[in-house]
Order: sequence, then C-alpha cells, then structure tokens
Amino acid sequence: MEKIRFLDLSVQNAHNNMAIDEAIMRSLKEEKVPPTLRLYRWDPSAVSIGTFQGMKEEVDLEYCGKNDIDYIRRITGGGAVYHDFNGEITYSIILPQRHRLAPDDILESYGVLCSGVVKGLEHLGIDAQFKPINDIVAGGKKISGNAQTRRHSCVLQHGTTLLDLDVEVMFSILRVPQEKISDKMIADVKERVTSIRDLLGRQVGMDELREALVAGFSEALNLELVPGELTDVEMNLAASLVYEKYGTDEWNLSR
Amino acid sequence: MESLKVTALEFKSYKIPKGKMVKVRVNVDKNSIRDITILGDFFLHPEDTLPQIEQGLVGTTADEDCITDVIQSVLDTQNAVLIGASARDLAKAIMSAHETR
Repeated sequence: MEKIRFLDLSVQNAHNNMAIDEAIMRSLKEEKVPPTLRLYRWDPSAVSIGTFQGMKEEVDLEYCGKNDIDYIRRITGGGAVYHDFNGEITYSIILPQRHRLAPDDILESYGVLCSGVVKGLEHLGIDAQFKPINDIVAGGKKISGNAQTRRHSCVLQHGTTLLDLDVEVMFSILRVPQEKISDKMIADVKERVTSIRDLLGRQVGMDELREALVAGFSEALNLELVPGELTDVEMNLAASLVYEKYGTDEWNLSR
Repeated sequence: MESLKVTALEFKSYKIPKGKMVKVRVNVDKNSIRDITILGDFFLHPEDTLPQIEQGLVGTTADEDCITDVIQSVLDTQNAVLIGASARDLAKAIMSAHETR
C-alpha cells in the first residue's frame, strides 16, 4: 500500500497551524519531505477566513479580542470557519500536483480527498456525502467544509469536521448585523449545519473522531499512514512564515 | 483647476444564485472604475489572478458587459479557473455595488 507521512493530532495556535501547512507544501516542493496528512486543533479557538475575504467584513475583531479568539487569513479560498478548540478537528493533506489523488480537475479532486472525511464519518455511523463544490453533508446538512490551493507544484487541501457546534458563539464571531441574528436566523443555520454530536445524540469524544478520520483517510484513499514528525527544515520555515506572514496584520488584514 | 470628484466608497454583498457570496468595494468616477476590491468565498486558481483582475478593471467603464469582458480576458490569459462564480457573476456583483449608492 502506498505510504504517506502522518502527523498525528496536534494543538497549535492559528498562526502556527497555517504556517505549518504552508511549510509542508514548500518543503514537499523541494522534495525534502514526503506527501503528508496532518490532523490538528486550534488553541485558542480561532476563525479562519478565505484568502479572498475581507477580514473586517467577515469577523468581529473586537469580540475576538475580548474573548481570546485568534483570527487568520488562509492561503486557500472559500469562506470563514470558526475552529472551536472543543468543537472540531482540522485535517490537511499535501500532495505533489501529479499525485494519483490530485486529478487535474479541481472539483473531481475535492471529491477524491473529501472521501477520507466521508469514510471517517461512516466509521462513526454517519451517512455523509460529498456535496460540490467543497462541502460534506449528512442528512442534508453541512458537517464539513474544505478548501484547496494549488501552488508550489503541490495540492494542499485542508478542512474541518464538526464535532460540536454553538451557533450563538459562531454568530458572535462572524460579522452578521445584530438585528439579523433573530431566532429565525439561528434556526435557519441549525437547519443547514450539523455536527457529529447533534447527529448521534451522544458525547462523541475528540479521540473517537481522531480515530475515525485516521481510518477514513487510510481506507478511502488507500494509504498507509506512517507516523512521522515535522522536520527541522519545516519547523524553521514555519517559524519564519509566522514572523513574516501569518502573524502580521499586513497578511491577515490585507483585504 | 477642476478638483477631482471622488464618489463615496460603495460596498455591497451579492449572493450568486446557487453559488458563492461576492462582496465588492468599488470606487467609480465619471462612469469609470477608479479602484476596486473583490471579496468573497469563491475559489480562483491561481489565487494571484484576483489582484490582476482588480488592476485590469481600473479604467474600465462601469458596464456589465465591459466588466465581464475584462475579467474573462484576464482569466483566459492566466489560464485561471474560477469556481463558484463566473466572470458574469462577478460583473453583476460589481454593478450591483455601483448601482446601490
């Protein structure tokens, strides 16, 4: 079975998380590291926005400041995501652009890579489907959002899988005019978004989700996940990316 | 000497039917785009095509067809792939921002 380096569930702040993903991609381009699957959480909880979004349009920065919530711009497109420390696991998968799991057709490749999450949810007893462009739904409701970039001769896809969801907190962070946060609207989001605990009606643990994602990616993508660590090259590169990019207003507030 | 007339910054959200959300900041003077920022949750590969589209639109007449043509021509030149929106959708979003002053 084809092997891929596996970086097991780690906890980092937003700057480090995004810098590590980019550092892996740049190092893979230089052929200094193998293709990689990584699982991570965000501490403190954070909001990430798509690379083309306006930070001030999407995020209530004052609320984030008062409540110790990080905010960051991703290198990938797509929308704003709230990464609650206790409410989700994020994965990233970084492959060379010619890899069998990274077909040229972008929509097709979303489907291929998202199958890891779909299979993982199946392990938890949840029947989920990939919904183009970049979502995974269960019972018609979104449970996972994903985003992909292609640069440095690589494909990087990262995505979140919701373990739990607090709609009220999410609305406090994401910039929706207060008058629009009616009970109706909160109900609407509950109609459109779901979580593993919502669906299963029990307190599924973080480690149970972690194990499900490990099994899901391995089986769906036919990969042997070989436990590994970040190299010194990647850690040094990530540190400089935090300093020069992800930790700066110049990047995070650039739009 | 005639002083430059700069219109107030126009900002508007535009939800593409069955597509993504586009938000536009645009500054139009004498029916010509002076400055524009296109925001949204769409995908565009390669990503640095978007600043090129924005630069290409400066000086373009505030007209849906003209804007569509400029965007499409940058996409074609860069061999870029826009997902979740079309050149026409972005043009509609820009015009919608311009017209809601």
